[in-house]
Formats: sequence, C-alpha cells, structure tokens
Amino acid sequence: MKILVAVRQVPDAESRLEVSEGNLDLSRASLVLDGMDEYAVEEALLLREAGLEAELIAVAVGAAALEETLRAALAMGLDRARLLVGELADPLAVARAVAEVARDEQADLILTGSQQSDWDSQALGPAIAACLGWPQVSWCHALQLDGGVLRGRHDVEGGSAAFEVALPAVVTTQQGLNEPRYPTLPNIRRSRSKEVRSESIPVTLADGWQLVAQGSAAKARLGQRIAVSDPQEAAAELLSWLEQTAKVRL
Amino acid sequence: MNDLPGGHFLLGRPEPGAVTIREALDPELLQIERLAKSFVQREILPVMDRLENQEQGLAQDLLRRAAALGLAGTEVPSAYGGLDLPKLASLLVAESLGPAGGFAVTFGAHQSIGALPLVYFGSEQQRQKYLPRLVSAEWVAAYALTEPESGSDAQAARAQATLQEDGSFLLSGTKMWISNAGFADLFTVFAQVPTAQGPRLSAFLVERSWPGVSTGPEEHKLGIRSSSTRRLILDAVPVPADHLLGQVGQGAKIAFNILNVGRYKLAAGALGATKVALSQAAGYALQRQQFGRPIGRFGLIQEKLAQIATRLFAVESALYRLVGAIDARIVAGVPPIAATEEYAVECSALKVLGSELLDFAVDENLQIHGGYGYSADLPVERAYRDSRINRIFEGTNEINRLLIPGLLLRRAERGTLPLLPALREAQAKLLEPPRPVQDPLGAAAQTIDSIKGLTLLLAGKALQRFGDQLEERQEVLARLADLCMAAYAADAALLRTERLGRPESAVAMTRIYAAEAAAQAGAVAGELAPVLAEGDEARLLQRAGQRLQPLLDLTALRRRVALEVLDRGGPLGFGS
Ligand SMILES: Cc1cc2nc3c(=O)[nH]c(=O)nc-3n(C[C@H](O)[C@H](O)[C@H](O)COP(=O)(O)OP(=O)(O)OC[C@H]3O[C@@H](n4cnc5c(N)ncnc54)[C@H](O)[C@@H]3O)c2cc1C
Repeated sequence: MKILVAVRQVPDAESRLEVSEGNLDLSRASLVLDGMDEYAVEEALLLREAGLEAELIAVAVGAAALEETLRAALAMGLDRARLLVGELADPLAVARAVAEVARDEQADLILTGSQQSDWDSQALGPAIAACLGWPQVSWCHALQLDGGVLRGRHDVEGGSAAFEVALPAVVTTQQGLNEPRYPTLPNIRRSRSKEVRSESIPVTLADGWQLVAQGSAAKARLGQRIAVSDPQEAAAELLSWLEQTAKVRL
Repeated sequence: MNDLPGGHFLLGRPEPGAVTIREALDPELLQIERLAKSFVQREILPVMDRLENQEQGLAQDLLRRAAALGLAGTEVPSAYGGLDLPKLASLLVAESLGPAGGFAVTFGAHQSIGALPLVYFGSEQQRQKYLPRLVSAEWVAAYALTEPESGSDAQAARAQATLQEDGSFLLSGTKMWISNAGFADLFTVFAQVPTAQGPRLSAFLVERSWPGVSTGPEEHKLGIRSSSTRRLILDAVPVPADHLLGQVGQGAKIAFNILNVGRYKLAAGALGATKVALSQAAGYALQRQQFGRPIGRFGLIQEKLAQIATRLFAVESALYRLVGAIDARIVAGVPPIAATEEYAVECSALKVLGSELLDFAVDENLQIHGGYGYSADLPVERAYRDSRINRIFEGTNEINRLLIPGLLLRRAERGTLPLLPALREAQAKLLEPPRPVQDPLGAAAQTIDSIKGLTLLLAGKALQRFGDQLEERQEVLARLADLCMAAYAADAALLRTERLGRPESAVAMTRIYAAEAAAQAGAVAGELAPVLAEGDEARLLQRAGQRLQPLLDLTALRRRVALEVLDRGGPLGFGS
C-alpha cells in the first residue's frame, strides 16, 4: 500500500519576518517543514513500524524551494518525494494537485497537518478528500490501522470522538498524536540521495475562481511604546494613538 | 578556485568566490545544523540547572542521546560507524552546542580532542576496537595532556611510560584538569618514554578500568560547572604494547595537531554563544525602560550592540573562511591533519578571536542587563562565567598569540612562505600615496591592505632589530599577532560582503571593523616605533601608523548597525 504525506513549508518560528511594501517578504526567512505536518510524517513512519507494508511518499506543491522541506521529510524516514512546482494561489488548487498525485500513485491513505502553522488555514486536508471523493477525519490525535480500517480519536466541537473509517481516506494530524522524531545524521545523509521527482504544473485556479491580486497585508512594527503606568491613562493614550497615528477608524 | 595557502593572508587576498561563507553552505549542512540546534533547544537547555549540579549520569545520558542522532560521528570514517562529513559539519555542530556552556565542553572533549587522536593516528586495530563505541558514546573519551607542573609547556610533561621486556609499558604520572575525567572510559594519555636519546613524548590509549587508573575529586570551578574536570592519576598502570598511539616520540605531533582542530572548534562554540548573548542583549535593550525610554535608544547601549555584532560578523566570516579552506584541501586529497596543519596560524588566530569575542559579548550583555545581569536568576550570569575558560584551554591566548608570528617566521625561514621579500617591499609600498577611492568597500580594502603593509614593515624591523632574540620580545610578537588576526578577519568580512552582493549593513560592519583594525594598527605602530627604530625612522613608523586611520563617522555607522540589531532582535544574518 502507499501512504502519501502532503507537507508544507513555513517560516522557522525563530526567524524574523520582514515586511516590504505592505507585503510579507520571506526571501530571507529560513523556511522549514511545518510542525503540524511533522506529526503526519511521524504517523506514516509509525504505521509502517507497527508492521504495515507500505511505501511512504512525501508530496508538496508550490515553489521549487520546497525541495528542502521534502528532504526534511525524507530525512525523518519517508521513502521518496513528489514535488509539483507551480505558484498556486489557493488551497483548493493545491488540493487538486495533491489529489492528482494520489490518483497517479494509487495511494490508499493521505496524511497532512490539520492546520497550517503560518496562515492557520485548515482547508487542505478536507479539500483533498473532496477532490477524491474520499472520507476524511480531521484533528486526529490517536490512530491505528487494522486490515483496511483506520480506528482512532479526533477532536470534534466541544470534545473528542472515536472514529472508524475504511481506506482510502484522508487524515489530518495534530499535536498529541505522536512525538515527531529527529532526522538523524545518517538519515539526513541518506535523504540526499532519495528520489525527489519534480515536475512543473500549470498555474491553475479552482473552477470559477479568478486571480485578482495576490499578497499579504502586513505592517512592520511601529516600535511605539506607551510609557504610562496608570491603566486608564494608558488606555486613553492607546485609543488616541490608534486613531491619530495608526489611522484606525474607531 | 581556492583560498590562499595557510599563512599567506598577509601577502594577498583571494577572489571573493574562493572563500566559504556561511550563507552559501550546502543544504545538507543546514539540515545538520537545524538538528543540532533543536537538540540543544529541546534536550539540553531545559535541564541546564540539573547539568550544572552535575546530576549523576545526566551528562553521559545526553551525550549518548546526541550520539544516537549521529552528532558524535561527523569526523569518523564510515568503516567505524561514523559519517566522515566535511569539517564544516562538525563546525556547525560545535557552533550549535556553544550556548550549552559546560555541555559543549563535555561534547567537545569527547567528540573532538577525545576521539580525534584515534581517528587520525590510531592503528586499524585500535580504531576497530574503540571508534564505534565512541561514535555511539557507549564509551566516553578524554584527552589527558596537562599536568600539575606542566600546562603551556606541555612537552615538559613528567608522566612516564617505561618500556617493559614484553614490549608493554608501565605508565605513571598525574594529569591535571582533565575534562570528562569523572566518567570517561578511554583516555588519550601523553607521557615520556625514556629512550637512549632521552625522554620522548608519546601518546597512549588508556582504559579507565585498568589497574592503577583513578581520578581525583571534581574541581570547583568558576564556570562550565556542568563539565566534569578532575585529575587523572596513573599509578604503575600496565599498558599493552598495542595501546601506544602512533609511535614513540610522536606525542607532540599528535597533541598539537589535535589542538589545531580543537582551536577552531572552540571558536565555533564561542560564536554560537555570542549569538545568544547578542540576542539576549538586543531583547533586553528593547524591553528595559529607563528615563522614559527603552535603553536600546541610548547611544552607549547601541554602541555595545554594534560592537558585538560587528566583531561577530568578522569572526564568523573568518571561521567559515578557514574551515572552508581546510575542507577544500581535504577534497583535493590532502589528509585532514595536513590540511589543518597548513592553516595552523589561522587556527590559532580564530582561537584568540573567538574566545575574546565571547568574553566581550558576555561582559557587555551583562552590563546591558545591569543588576539583573549580575543575578544568578538569569542565564546571562552563567554565560559570563562559562566564557572565561576559553582564553585558558586549547593553548592560552598568550601561547596562541606567540604561535602566530612564530609559525609565520618559521615558514618564511623554511621557504614555504615568501615573507622576506614582502618585508623588504613593505616600506616602499607604505610610503606610496594612497589612491583616492570613492567606493566605501574599496576604501575598506585599501585600509586593510595598508594594515597588512604596516604589519610586514613592523615585522621586518623587528627581525632586523632583534634577530634571533625576537623570541624573547613577546610584547612585540603579541602586537604583531594582533595585527595579523585583525587583517585576516577584516579580509574575511570584506570577501563575504562582496560575495553577498554588498548588503548595506554588511558593508557598514566591514567598514567599522577595518577602521577599528586601522586604529589598533596605528596604536601598535606608535608603541613599537621607539622599540624598533630611532630618531627619524621611529617618527616615520609612527606616522605610517597614524596615516592608516580613515576619516570615517564610526558613530553613525555603529548606530545604523545597532538599529538593525534591535530590529532583528539579534545578530545580523544575510539569508539562510
Ligand atoms: C576547566 C578546564 C578544563 C581543561 N581540560 C583539559 C583537558 O581536557 N585536557 C588537558 O590536557 N588539559 C585541560 N585543561 C588544561 C589547560 O589546557 C591548561 O590549563 C592550559 O594549557 C594552561 O596551562 P596551565 O593552567 O598550567 O597554565 P600555565 O601554563 O602555568 O600558564 C599560566 C600563565 O602563564 C602564561 N604563560 C605560560 N607560558 C608562557 C610563555 N611561554 N610566554 C608567555 N606567557 C606564558 C599563560 O598564558 C598563563 O597566563 C583544562 C583546564 C581547565 C581549567
């Protein structure tokens, strides 16, 4: 069987984000494998270590620089990787690309992080499932596979619920599911010679979508500080500052 | 394209493309660095207090966990379970461990000075027997050279290994200040073997469990308290013949070659710790308010931040330049030990530059923290104490300073460094009027060239004046060493800035560093002029020094750098 792990790249939590002309500038940030997706990578490895015979494939969609992120997943132990290079605007388009790979590979299970740790989008996992017409379980924090049936627990509104779902399926992962391993030095070495199959895909948007503009609305820190100890006074000063300096309409 | 051969930095400058810079490291190396950093972050720093109290077994356990990730095997050939990676890999690991204080010493004593004698000088059988266990840290290694009566003068060691009839040795003596002695299983011990030609320093592999091997109590230290330091006592220890490392008489060769590696690794650790200190300093300077504003807005605080950042930039440039050059030689087929020895001068320079940078950084970081910095509640205080050892071990900074001109002159005598013709030309060159240069980086390059010229001129005069007696003129030699170090680091900063495409703050730091080096060179020339010459000639030397100083608004440049340090919350990096 084949398990596909869809991974994303996010700025390192320690790296400083720069803003240029109202846009977030990531050109100097160090980009790493999304921590949320690390749980997905680890879970794929654990499923295999529990006795499953499976090929574990990392997949990523976006900039060519994602190769390093795929290599990080390979260094944790995945077998090979697929990289679809193309500047895609929305999670739906990314999901369609991942779904295409899933069909091509005849994957049985897709794992990915529940939520992007940069923009907080939770769409990718459910969208992949929708594209494939597969069931999906989100925010999973316990998982095992018996025969072709996944059993586990996941978060639902107001608590947690047990689930049971037959393959193929999409599962999104989160903290608590496992403890992602370190990529050891020998594995980092090995990962350099593992296959990363890179292909470019056309820039597509989901049906009915049209790209009007792309970017982020970001503002550099203004470095202001309200140096008043009385809370009332401080609040008043903050209000007037927001109104007058930051031009926020109150 | 290669960097200049070792010791040639006073005589020229390579193309920017020939030097290794941190920003152009292989992605695999960056992955290794990320691993080492997250190990320190997740496994070491949270238990620092327990480590500092030397909780039984904890350091060994952490060493084993680091080893399980492969961190102890970077320099060991794959035949013995290691990874045989470029030296840059072990450099990044050392830098990542730097902020871990005493644990970095534990790790370095094991992986570096502990295991490397075997890697480079062990017989096939010795390597087979011990290296796999050291790579996994199932066994911990230590390096035992220093004795109560012999430190800097290591070759005067008194420990004795007398040859027995069956070819084995009987080893007796006391080794002092041995890192990891509390739990090491394997010691590389240096001792004199009496021969017909007199005593010959030699190295032996000694197991802890052998009869006659014991250790003294833990030393109580100013810093690196989490590192075990004890005496190693050897009382008529029988050492089998096949535990001699290398040959009888090779002890000094082994000891000093391993120290070359230890020296640049020490600089790497210092660099890592300096980065943390600067981040702490910048963070606190933004947060601490006095007189109604963050102290980071005061000129004197900004000056400190800029000074740390600038020296950090230069030392980092020099360190990666050096180890990149060593790696390039190894790739070209030069054995690692020879490749490192080629750059022995630069290794000593980095040892001094790195340790003094860190001392400066932790001191100013503490100062920026004021009373809170003096309190043991913050890690600032520990870092201050931990830094101090770096000027003492791996050869004191005095010894390393003396080595720099000493080695250069020895190579000149041997004909491997064309120093003497350069010394002769230096005077003429220095008297040439400087070309006017508009471009700021070009001006910095010119300043650095003049510093080198002045250094050569002073060295030539010193040789003329003192000849064979120059060795006894340590004050002169140490000043020359300072100028050599400044020139090497300033060049490295300049080359890196060029390679990076001249980012504004890198240009600013290079200009500051070059100007500060020029001021230092001017002061040295002023001081040495009357020592090395008389009358008009002395005045000429003094003026040559004064002429170096560029007319530059250092205050404005430093403020610029400081604002960026504050904005970034730490060291200025230039892309991953
Ligand atoms: C915490 C710690 C850990 C250590 N770990 C190890 C270890 O693992 N293995 C090991 O073998 N050793 C180790 N050492 C020993 C260390 O390398 C020595 O302390 C160092 O080499 C200096 O020797 P010394 O202490 O005997 O000082 P000395 O050699 O007595 O020097 C005293 C002072 O005199 C100066 N001096 C000496 N000779 C000259 C000279 N020719 N010209 C000018 N000045 C001179 C020195 O620079 C110094 O300032 C460790 C030391 C410490 C404190």
